[in-house]
Amino acid sequence: MIPQLGKMTRRASIRSLVGGSLLLPGIVSDLLAQGQPTLGEASGNPLAPRAPHFAGRARRVIFIFSNGGVSHMDTFDHKPKLFAADGKTLGVGGGLSNQQRRLLRPGWEFRPGGRCGTLVSDLFPHLRECMDEICLIRSMKSDDNEHYQATLAIHTGSFFFSRPSLGSWVSYGLGTLNQNLPSFVVISAGSPYAGTQIFSNDFLPAYHQGVRVIPGREPIANLDRRSSRSGAQELELGLAEALNRRHLDARGHDTDLAARIRTFETAFHMQTDARDVFDLSKESESTLGLYGLKRGQTDGFGWPCLVARRLAERGVRFIELVDGSSSHNWDQHGDMAEHAQHARNIDQPIAGLLRDLRQRGMLDDTLVVWTTEFGRTPGVDGDKGRGHHSACFSSWLAGAGVRAGSTYGSTDELGASVAENRVHVHDFHATLLHLLGMDHERLTFRHGGRDYRLTDVHGNVVQALLA
Amino acid sequence: MSPSRITLWFLPILLLIGVGISHRGLAANEPVFFRGINLNGPAIRIDGHDWEAETTTNLVLSGKSFENQQVPLRPATDPSRSRMIRSSRWGSRVDVSLTSVPPGTFQVFAYVWEDNHSEQFDLLLNGRVVAEKFHSGAAGSWQRLGPWPLRLEGTNTQITLSARGPGHGAANLSGIEVWSGAGTIPSPEAPRFAGTPSAEQVAFFESRIRPVLVEHCYECHSAQSAKLKGGLLLDSRAGVIRGGDSGPIIAPGDPEASLLIRAVQRTDPALTMPPKQSLPPQAIEDLIAWVRMGAPDPRTEDTVAQQGARSSIDWNRAREWWSFRPVVDPPLPKLRNPSWPANGLDTLILARLESAGLEPTPDADRRTLIRRMSFDLLGLPPDPAEVDAFVNDPSPDAVSRLVDRFLDSPRYGERWGRHWLDVVRYADTAGDNSDFPVPQLHQYRDWVIRSFNQDLSFHQFVREQIAGDLLESTDPEQRFSRIIATGYLANARRFGSRVDDYPWHLTIEDTLDNLGRSFLGLSLNCARCHDHKFDPISTADYYALYGIFNSTRYPWPGIELEQHQRDLIPLVDRDQWPDYQVRKEARDAEAKRLQKRVQTSKDALKAAPAEGKSEAEAQVREAETALRNHAHLAPLAEMAYAVTESDRTGDAQIQIKGDPARPGSLIRRRFLQVLGGDPLPVGTSSSGRRELAEWITRPGNPLVDRVWVNRVWQHHFGRGLVPTPNDFGRQGRPPSHPELLDWLAARFRKSDGSTKSLHRLIVLSRTYRQSATRSMASLERDPSNELLSAFPRRRLDAEAMRDTLLLLGSSLDLSPAGAHPFPPEHEWKFTQHNPFRALYETSHRSVFLMTQRIQRHPFLATFDGADPSASTPSRLTSTTPVQALFLINDPLVHTQAARFGNRVFRSGGSPSQRIDLAYRMALGRPAAPEEARLALRFLGAAAAAESRSETDHPAAWESLARTLFRLNEFVYLD
Repeated sequence: MIPQLGKMTRRASIRSLVGGSLLLPGIVSDLLAQGQPTLGEASGNPLAPRAPHFAGRARRVIFIFSNGGVSHMDTFDHKPKLFAADGKTLGVGGGLSNQQRRLLRPGWEFRPGGRCGTLVSDLFPHLRECMDEICLIRSMKSDDNEHYQATLAIHTGSFFFSRPSLGSWVSYGLGTLNQNLPSFVVISAGSPYAGTQIFSNDFLPAYHQGVRVIPGREPIANLDRRSSRSGAQELELGLAEALNRRHLDARGHDTDLAARIRTFETAFHMQTDARDVFDLSKESESTLGLYGLKRGQTDGFGWPCLVARRLAERGVRFIELVDGSSSHNWDQHGDMAEHAQHARNIDQPIAGLLRDLRQRGMLDDTLVVWTTEFGRTPGVDGDKGRGHHSACFSSWLAGAGVRAGSTYGSTDELGASVAENRVHVHDFHATLLHLLGMDHERLTFRHGGRDYRLTDVHGNVVQALLA
Repeated sequence: MSPSRITLWFLPILLLIGVGISHRGLAANEPVFFRGINLNGPAIRIDGHDWEAETTTNLVLSGKSFENQQVPLRPATDPSRSRMIRSSRWGSRVDVSLTSVPPGTFQVFAYVWEDNHSEQFDLLLNGRVVAEKFHSGAAGSWQRLGPWPLRLEGTNTQITLSARGPGHGAANLSGIEVWSGAGTIPSPEAPRFAGTPSAEQVAFFESRIRPVLVEHCYECHSAQSAKLKGGLLLDSRAGVIRGGDSGPIIAPGDPEASLLIRAVQRTDPALTMPPKQSLPPQAIEDLIAWVRMGAPDPRTEDTVAQQGARSSIDWNRAREWWSFRPVVDPPLPKLRNPSWPANGLDTLILARLESAGLEPTPDADRRTLIRRMSFDLLGLPPDPAEVDAFVNDPSPDAVSRLVDRFLDSPRYGERWGRHWLDVVRYADTAGDNSDFPVPQLHQYRDWVIRSFNQDLSFHQFVREQIAGDLLESTDPEQRFSRIIATGYLANARRFGSRVDDYPWHLTIEDTLDNLGRSFLGLSLNCARCHDHKFDPISTADYYALYGIFNSTRYPWPGIELEQHQRDLIPLVDRDQWPDYQVRKEARDAEAKRLQKRVQTSKDALKAAPAEGKSEAEAQVREAETALRNHAHLAPLAEMAYAVTESDRTGDAQIQIKGDPARPGSLIRRRFLQVLGGDPLPVGTSSSGRRELAEWITRPGNPLVDRVWVNRVWQHHFGRGLVPTPNDFGRQGRPPSHPELLDWLAARFRKSDGSTKSLHRLIVLSRTYRQSATRSMASLERDPSNELLSAFPRRRLDAEAMRDTLLLLGSSLDLSPAGAHPFPPEHEWKFTQHNPFRALYETSHRSVFLMTQRIQRHPFLATFDGADPSASTPSRLTSTTPVQALFLINDPLVHTQAARFGNRVFRSGGSPSQRIDLAYRMALGRPAAPEEARLALRFLGAAAAAESRSETDHPAAWESLARTLFRLNEFVYLD
């Protein structure tokens, strides 16, 4: 159970601000003696939890984005014919350039994983063991072969123009469960393609902006106290609250003023609550081991995965983990062998996250999503690499409400295009919203004379992915 | 004069000469078909001529063979030509040589096509470039390029057509067609539709064709259709001949080349008709037979002409919408309390209040008023001495003199210029995938600020942004300034990272979207794909304007694959122009020479013997250094990031469903139908921007003034009379006070577009001067204060807040900010993997912060700053814990609080006096006794918290400063 400040009494709240400090008993009592207009419910908190359109299976989302274009036929989409066809030339079509029509065999063997026996390549030995938790989609489809456009699209549904991110839409639709933490958190060590647009609220109110966490000393901007003595900040905030309340008394009907007073309380608590999220010292060795994380380590993908679990536990609605940056990622034009280091970086941590969530019973109401912006060509690019390929790629879902241990859709025998059950990026988004209990056609925001949607005028919920 | 105009000017003369020659020389030198070669296929007959196979003699070919007969060609053509086109030689170096050609004069055509993504390449004929940077277009595009003249003399017996794709471009060459002789080559006979049908044909049509059309097609393709689809009418001969949005549907005599047949045969998955169910096989056979006959059609009614008269938009009704009606200066109503109003504005406000049974709130006190006005007009707080002087000024015109003083301050333009920059989505980068910096754009930003300070007529302000480069000017200074003003257009967003197939259509879309919202309060972009669903804006309207900007040359900011700026405008005086040209040409020639030297030295290195390698390498290095140094020379003139007329001006085609690969009818450039629809005069050789600027700003356009006065009102009262300032259409909200909007618009027009006069009208009104205290009656009857029975309390925007922190910390630099410290152009190596990304600290006002398109400035993003990618009609005011965290811990707040605290600490006087000073500076008022007592005790405790023994310590004053910065009163205006 997470304590909610809005439910605490004014008196208790101000006491908490002054933090038990005995430095200023006189002022504290002065403050408490003053009139106490209630700020609480009148302030119309825009992040208060909101009921979905219908009962959704998932209460929160962990969205893992592998940047650069992960090759489907080297990871999750087994293409036996492609092994045999190495060096042959593919016929026309499939959006391939003339150069990319000489086929390149996949670099890794495939083996069955879990009871379901889904074939996964040796790039993901740990995830392969988790296939019973996973609903694999092998028929994803995007519309643009450029990183920037495809990355923007998988996040916002728009290929060229800035639009609100999926996480912002979810925050807007459902609010959040913990008022002391942001509703939408993005853990991203580097800067992905298309920059901050991918976690931007755009025209939605700024409450729904993704708050960036950068692994390291101060993961959230301005989280560290900068007052030289700890008591000073409490004093300052205590006086500000007293003066703000005086100001409000004379303007009693202005809920905006009350809402702003409240944000200082939340921010004050974030300094410790959010700090606590990033403090992994109380995690057991065995938990750290699940994620392949050494104590004190913040580089690699184990830290983001474990912090994601901690954020999820504390009621953050949408957590995005960005794997790679625009300059270091899965974009292997020259040599596919480099996929190995990127896979090694995320394989055990993501598998660890799934296991940890399962152990804690959180996988029942947490939706875990893994995707990339597009796949790679069956034909060669450069010497031993593969090119960008939006015609098809693989993504997967796990956890709340998804048909675990199954696969959906397929590509042709070479992995050049979708053969059946195409899942376009818009369908993918519609399905994710559906799992959260939202109808993608009803989740709208009026802007510039139009009702905007995440899915624009497209998208169908893919029922077959649902449990 | 642009080259295009020179050409056009000479064109009639050239035509006359041409006609004269051909009349005399036709018989003697009539061109004769010489050879045609199907470059990747068998012998074939095209246009009645026998073409040879690729295996023929006297032919040398390079390039790889490629064929894909599945791609639908656009436009469709006859079967044999289609076969020839869809099999080709491709590559980035393709050469086709006809050998053993006798001496003489020849004319050469080349067939090129595209099977998937557009490519870019050059075509050369015997080494001479005949098509430079040719774009092959979308999948299915093909062209018969030429004719290119060629004279063979002496020992030269070859005709060589070459394609060169520098970078990634690869050409698909399908065929070469050569004629001997110099005269006009007869165009292949166009297929004809059957004329008056014979009796048999009438019988065939009536029994086999008409019933099929009626049963299966008329629902969507007739004058009676509830909704006409694809612009295609099949209920008359005229409609059948004209075709639809996708072009002609029938190639008479040639079913395979006819879109109608391809659609019913469902050849192309993108176009299958009827949409749900196939026609019976017999009906398809009949249609094929009909097309083969030349589509004989006995119907005489012309539904196309009828359709032209009947539009999907009822223009007369459309003009009834409030915002399209003419501005009418309203009569002022009678009031119960005629003593309150200071001007007509107040009368119109009070009339509404009285009818709602409300009263205005008494005037705010002078302290509140000066703080309100100072933030409104300058974006900064007044200083305490200024406040005291105003509070103690007994003269009746104290307010009016204060307003004049504020309006004369250079800070005014910085404040109000920023409001305009919000609307035009100003940013200092281009917004493409690598987000290239645009170091020159600050000139436009400064021009906006200057224009506000000089109270440039708003109509002139609009004119110069759309067509400043085309307006007459009196001196070079003015000319440069007007060129810079078109930075408004140049600043349209760029997209992608492709050089081939660069998506200019998206930049033009962004231009039109912003133009509509900024100047007209209309969302034009809905009409890009279909007629606007709510407002009277047709797709034809959209492409009529599109043609104007498609005829405009935008500057090139650089892109991943071409890292340098080009097509900027040199700011060179006319007198200096010849000299500039000479120096520019010399410099370009030097660049070419140095490039050549690099190439020569590299060639020499390859050929050098082992012992000469190191010497040759040194030569290469030297040549490369020389070229690099040359590239780094300072530009010969200051450059403006601005637009000019394109070399190719002309009307644009509709893009069906907004897809540039699906061109439809050509639309004459003109203004929006609902606002007059004036076409460009016949024979206009310019883009039409100058005319567009006049159409937008003319007194007969009711939108331009209403939209602007509404924006000004919005920035004074926090909300426009029309609450949707970018949308005056049916999706927007109607004005709360329509008469007042017109009253202001009428006065604005009479003042010749003086924004400063408009400010005076508003700020000197009693409405504006009311206190922000709401009465119970007002809260009950008008909770959102739409009727303005009190001044609406407002929060400072991001810029005003940061500027105030800097001002109180004595850190604000008010000198001209100038350019941003971008890296020099020759160092640019931005890619989508490593895009341009920078954060430049500055102590100038926030309007001068460098803002990027794809990376938001963290401070501005946190405090609801403007969207740098799309027009921001009004700022949101969100209240988030991240904002509070900023005020609690950010170094900016701590640094400025330290400076402010120390300033107060050192100001002398007793602690109480200093507390008073801090209040006056930060909040514009003295501290109340109770507040002063609390602050005193706070100072002692704060000093103790800092482990200081003395109670009056600078650290405690810093602490007090931080507290004041976090107050609601600090960021809210009463």
